[in-house]
Amino acid sequence: MAEASLPTSLRGVQPKFETKGLKAGFGTNWVLKGIDLKIPPNRVTAVMGPSGCGKTTFVRCLNRLHELTPGATVEGEALLDGEDIYDRNADPVAVRRRIGMVFQKPNPFPTMSIYHNVVAGLTLNGERNKKKLDHAVEHSLRGAYLWDEVKDKLSNSGASLSGGQQQRLCIARALAVEPEVLLMDEPCSALDPTATAKIEELITQLKRDYTIIIVTHNLQQASRVSDYTAFFYLGKLIEFDETATLFENPKEELTERYITGKFG
Amino acid sequence: MPRLMDIGLDQLNSLLLDMATLSQQAVSASIDAYSLGSKGAEVRQMSNRLRALHRQVSDLSVEMIARYQPVASDLRFLKACMEISYGFFRYGRYALDITSVLDMFGDLSKCDKKFVVDTAKKTQEMIRMSVEAFAKRDLEMARNIPTMDDVVDESYRRNLRTTLEKKGADIKCALSSALILRYLERIADHASYIGESVEYIATGVEPKLD
Amino acid sequence: MTSIFTSGRRQSWRRIFDRIMKVLILLSVVIAIIPLFFVVADVVVQGLPAISLAFFTKNPPSPLAGYGGILNGIEGSLLMVGMGTLIAVPLGVGAGIYFSEWPESRLSFLSSFTNDVLAEFPTIVVGLFVYSLVVAPTRTFSAVAGAVALAIIMLPIIARTTEESLKIVPVTLREASMALGVPRWKTIFRVVISTGKSGLATGILLGIARATGETAPLVVTAGYLNFPPTGLFQQTASVPYIIYNFGTAGYPNWTTVAWGAALVLVAFMLILNLSVKFFIGRRSTGVRAEI
Repeated sequence: MAEASLPTSLRGVQPKFETKGLKAGFGTNWVLKGIDLKIPPNRVTAVMGPSGCGKTTFVRCLNRLHELTPGATVEGEALLDGEDIYDRNADPVAVRRRIGMVFQKPNPFPTMSIYHNVVAGLTLNGERNKKKLDHAVEHSLRGAYLWDEVKDKLSNSGASLSGGQQQRLCIARALAVEPEVLLMDEPCSALDPTATAKIEELITQLKRDYTIIIVTHNLQQASRVSDYTAFFYLGKLIEFDETATLFENPKEELTERYITGKFG
Repeated sequence: MPRLMDIGLDQLNSLLLDMATLSQQAVSASIDAYSLGSKGAEVRQMSNRLRALHRQVSDLSVEMIARYQPVASDLRFLKACMEISYGFFRYGRYALDITSVLDMFGDLSKCDKKFVVDTAKKTQEMIRMSVEAFAKRDLEMARNIPTMDDVVDESYRRNLRTTLEKKGADIKCALSSALILRYLERIADHASYIGESVEYIATGVEPKLD
Repeated sequence: MTSIFTSGRRQSWRRIFDRIMKVLILLSVVIAIIPLFFVVADVVVQGLPAISLAFFTKNPPSPLAGYGGILNGIEGSLLMVGMGTLIAVPLGVGAGIYFSEWPESRLSFLSSFTNDVLAEFPTIVVGLFVYSLVVAPTRTFSAVAGAVALAIIMLPIIARTTEESLKIVPVTLREASMALGVPRWKTIFRVVISTGKSGLATGILLGIARATGETAPLVVTAGYLNFPPTGLFQQTASVPYIIYNFGTAGYPNWTTVAWGAALVLVAFMLILNLSVKFFIGRRSTGVRAEI
């Protein structure tokens, strides 16, 4: 991405994640047609666009989840702190440990208790130290604004919580692995307004310690929660700017038409 | 395909155009009353009507922001609407102020009204430009308004200076001219502000403050 | 203005038709159940007299020489079904995992299809196959041969139910685990299987139930012995074989033994099926994951 087209506040800032010519799709059917984007550290970047624009595919490329679908193809570079995660020698498992993901529908592991759900990322990778696990459970649940609600029932099944609580549990689970980046794929779309508000509040707190990328089709959510917004359309990046600027005075006509609802 | 919001936006647009016409008429009526010596009784009614319309515009804009969470050009339009309608409301208010000068001072037939009337013509031209710039979203016209504002400002200051220097001037004439010029100068300022709002709607950039 | 009640005649005709259909359906259910009911009743009535503690601790009697038991059959069946399970479970579960987790590979598609065919195969043919594979080279009927035959019969059932149970586990759980940086094989074993374990257990129990009742393959692989198993490569008795052998010989005391064996077999099947239901009822984790 040319320096000139970066938002002013990001010139000279080392991006946390940078994609160069990132293409992704299935076979030769490219969903993403070459994305050049610089994601700033410790900020919330929203990725938005109409259905089929490639925003979910983009985010799933950032933690190498896209390639797990049979037939999936990826080309181009994605640099995390300057290192290409798609390098031939890169280990996808190691990449995924540095990047957490929260999905559209809350998906706690149904056979595990709340406690074990939170530290699943640690225990499944061999961590046995009870003290470390206890500490991680409390720290992550506090970080997800869920500790007070579940501290007395940590051994209950993860699936026994309400939708909003389950999603916060999934956030805690992602945080427990101490990632640097948090990817969120429409995290509130299955939740009611109160639960949504809690999670949005949580997101604005989390950016102090993490770089957050959130996919959303909800314009108001993007404008409430994000510092920067990227607008995708038909697999291309149309505009990337500070959220306030993009929503008050977008530079591209396509962006203007989309956010004012004038799309066909 | 029209959006839900478009109904409200069209309504706002017509309200503003009504206010534009009405405020132009109010100012013309007050200037005519001055130059011809008539009472200008209808100006009070017009001014009150403008005040009511301004409130309507303000309420409608706020309602639309709350209900539709508009963004980009829609949002800018709503912000500008409130400012522009205030401008038209002020036109009417100053027209009223001019006629109240006439009420207070009574017979001014002996005064030299030429200077004031000339300045008034320039001001009316600025009003016309502001209305047309808004109605047609004419960026070029909006940008020309400040130049004329400088001219009106200068007239106002020149008259003040001349009045201060002249000995033995008729107090009634001097004061009435000064007051009316003051109101004309304020009307001109508002015409500039309206021009700035029109520019904001189109470009999203507010012109720099001097 | 028409009344909300339709005209009387049409209404009562519809009601009558409704009732007739209900009766017909109930009748068909009763008719379907009758044979099962009679068979079970017959087994119970004929077999109960043979049951005693001795029945489970003694070997069968000689013809016309009093009462006995089916100890040899019970121990033989336990041995062969047990060995068969030990062979079939790892292979079946492994195959099921492969079908479920790598469905896109051509090997998966071919094997899955073959699996379905094998599940419906005539078991006597399986027995004959094992005869030529194991019995002929070793020149003897054996428990091992019987176990292998049973394993081949159990394998497709276990593979298929494993595949089905794992396929039900939502993709999003696998993704959640992989997104945490858990390697694929660990995701499969610690998350996917853990979530689908009740289905797996069900499959294994169903396989065991099927294997316990198989007769034809054991006739040509395990043969028969009047005593409990003497060696892995010796002829071995089994409960179904006893029913087959003793039930048609004509000696009254042997007939009783056969009915008793039938009752034991049916009771075992019943217990197994009930415990499957119990499993599904208790650990319905598959259902709760659907939030």
